[in-house]
Amino acid sequence: MIITMDKKRSSLKGSLLLLLLLVSDLLLCKSVASLPICPSGAVNCQVSLRELFDRAVILSHYIHNLSSEMFNEFDKRYAQGRGFVTKAINSCHTSSLSTPEDKEQAQQIHHEDLLNLILRVLRSWNDPLYHLVSEVRGMQEAPEAILSKAIEIEEQNRRLLEGMEKIVGQVQPRIKENEVYSVWSGLPSLQMADEDSRLFAFYNLLHCLRRDSHKIDNYLKLLKCRIVYDSNC
Amino acid sequence: MKENVASTVVFILLLFLNINLLNGQSPPGKPEIIKCRSPEKETFTCWWKPGADGGLPTSYTLTYHKEGETLTHECPDYKTGGPNSCYFNKKHTSIWTIYIITINATNQMGSCSSDPRYVDVTYIVEPDPPVNLTLELKQPEDKKPYLWMRWFPPTLVDVRSGWLTLQYEIRLKPEKSAEWEIHFAGQQTQFKILSLYPGQKYLVQVRCKPDHGFWSEWSPESSIQIPNDFTMKDSTVWIFVAVLSAVFCLIMVWAVALKGYSMVSCILPPVPGPKIKGFDTHLLEKGKSEELLSALGCQEFPPTSDCEDLLVEFLEVDDSEDQQLMPAHSKEHPGQGMKPTHLDPDSDSGRGSCDSPSLLSEKCEEPRANPSTFQTPEGIEKPENPPKNVTHTWDPQSTSLEGKIPYFHVDGSKSSTWPLPQPPNQHNFRSSYHNIADICQLATGAAGASATLLDKTDKHAFKSSKTIETGAEGKAAEQREVESFPSKTDQDRAWLPPQEKTPFLSVKALDYVEIHKVNKDGALSLLPKQKENSDQTEKASTPETSKEYAKVSQVTDNNILVLTQDPRAPNLALFEEQAKEAPPSLPHNQAQKDLASFTAPPGNCRLQLGGLDYLDPAGFMHSFQ
Repeated sequence: MIITMDKKRSSLKGSLLLLLLLVSDLLLCKSVASLPICPSGAVNCQVSLRELFDRAVILSHYIHNLSSEMFNEFDKRYAQGRGFVTKAINSCHTSSLSTPEDKEQAQQIHHEDLLNLILRVLRSWNDPLYHLVSEVRGMQEAPEAILSKAIEIEEQNRRLLEGMEKIVGQVQPRIKENEVYSVWSGLPSLQMADEDSRLFAFYNLLHCLRRDSHKIDNYLKLLKCRIVYDSNC
Repeated sequence: MKENVASTVVFILLLFLNINLLNGQSPPGKPEIIKCRSPEKETFTCWWKPGADGGLPTSYTLTYHKEGETLTHECPDYKTGGPNSCYFNKKHTSIWTIYIITINATNQMGSCSSDPRYVDVTYIVEPDPPVNLTLELKQPEDKKPYLWMRWFPPTLVDVRSGWLTLQYEIRLKPEKSAEWEIHFAGQQTQFKILSLYPGQKYLVQVRCKPDHGFWSEWSPESSIQIPNDFTMKDSTVWIFVAVLSAVFCLIMVWAVALKGYSMVSCILPPVPGPKIKGFDTHLLEKGKSEELLSALGCQEFPPTSDCEDLLVEFLEVDDSEDQQLMPAHSKEHPGQGMKPTHLDPDSDSGRGSCDSPSLLSEKCEEPRANPSTFQTPEGIEKPENPPKNVTHTWDPQSTSLEGKIPYFHVDGSKSSTWPLPQPPNQHNFRSSYHNIADICQLATGAAGASATLLDKTDKHAFKSSKTIETGAEGKAAEQREVESFPSKTDQDRAWLPPQEKTPFLSVKALDYVEIHKVNKDGALSLLPKQKENSDQTEKASTPETSKEYAKVSQVTDNNILVLTQDPRAPNLALFEEQAKEAPPSLPHNQAQKDLASFTAPPGNCRLQLGGLDYLDPAGFMHSFQ
């Protein structure tokens, strides 16, 4: 009978251990995404976060539409037959920022990191957008369509940056990272005397803008579905 | 020998080539990439079109390199996408990266490469059509029946994680119809259709589009048969109601249109604009009181006119017929009941036409009093023609005096309303009025500061210095002498001091002149009195409101009647009596007293009460002599 008692004890211990293991497993299995987004846990935080994301997504979608139209118009008008596309390879100033290049990579990044990445990209475009507007104005026959879009994009980008900073303030208020962004040094090329070179500089800038605005839009939609709708958009 | 060998070799080579050409073999033509597409932004496929194959079996390879890399890769999968295609799976697909893709065609004869194609997967997304489109007719109670449809996104697209966001569009048509009815459904995966024809078979399709990509193809058709009893039950009622209300509205509009004007005018009668004759609002806005007042007929305030307007004419009364007393125009200060006198230019003999006593006070009442509001003795005619004549003649004098003597300046036309009575059965006494203005001018000319003098002493001076020798009743102080006293020539006479009053009117003729009225210019219109009695009575019946210079204040040495205004009812009798006394030589002081009594406070329109002013004849009496 002692044996059975021992067996019972050991089995009890085993079950306890098993239980403990299960619980720990459950705890460990909690994915990154299920961490509470709002540190305070208040209901207001959840609701306002949804609104903030909805608004941010609307802005990013709009900005990319404008960038795309602007690029297409410029391409049709100034870049035909010049073979710019062959040269606009690996020439964006934000390529130094390590952004995810496909869905798997994007889904593996922690949402806080992704938010900071978005902020970095947005900040990197403040300066170029400002100069884009002023330089497009100085172009020969300054095309009204392109100029108006550039002005609009610059303004909306600023708004999106404000919104993103608010979101970051709600999601991770404790972390205040230094403002990191890529410096743009393409202003001299925008002002070159040679028309071909100058037009290529514009083409390159608009091409990079189209791409980066699409990236921001995509990342934000991913984050929104992940954070607000729990990956069930 | 060597040459022969070389040429032979060349010949053989050429032969060989020719044989090949005769066979139709050549290197392959240039292939071309048709399109590259990604159905879910995770993989993509490129299709190409081969060129001429040159008659030989040609193999195609696809090579590419990515932006930022130097390595050249070959297509990982030639099969999945079908013939002449290359499929890039998830492992080989990078988003936001440019692929430089080239097709190489190789055959026995040679090879040929296509132009490089630059592909970014971001912009080539074209999903598959939505799947599982289901249609259902729903007819809930108490509600309208409708067609309800729902579908699912294409299987490959990852919408749940937000990697792609899809928007949908549906289209439907009755089976036999030629045109589709398209509806945009947004991001929802269901849709309701309300307007359907019963008894028809409908075909429905749906398609989708990613947030920044191309529209998919239409899904396969789904069909549904609408039953015959699929009616909107209460639609007929609503149609009936709508028609009725439309008809009603039309009737209302028609009625309003017909009678609208009268209705509107009934409800909102047109507001009459305020109008005051002679009142120019623009002048009022400009703030130039002078012009305004002058437009209204008032002389400048303070009075600055010269004395030309102060016409004082000696009345010359005689039995001659058709004599008219010239209306005495004088421009008087609003507050001063100046009796205007007008010099009859025609009166070489010093005769002027007389009007019945005028009412200076009328003019004095309001600055804007219309001269036409003269209150003339009712019993007296009110001829209208003569005034014009009078005014014409008078105007030059008056205008010259405008700036010096304060008076109610009436427009020339207005002053023309100063009627000269021409009763056919009456004697028209002609009396020459001495222009008060002249008298003033005398004084002013002598003084050299007529304006200032006037200004200072305007009230008193004006009043006191003016003694109007209007047609005195009874023996009007007609002075033949007056006629020799031209109004204009004596401008350099000295200005009479206010206190000096000397009767100037010497009545020569023994006839009475009745003051018809005083117009705005202060001109006295005198009526000749044909018969004392008759005229008296006649004149006596003049309205009380008429101001009559019926009171003789004094008679001067020269038989000049100094008339005053009688505030009471027309006292023609009094006037007459006094006139009858003529030519009495009233004491000078009496005249003074009377005159002084008339020195009503300036600006005080109490002329009606007897504040009329008379021109003091003393001034010109001296000169006269």
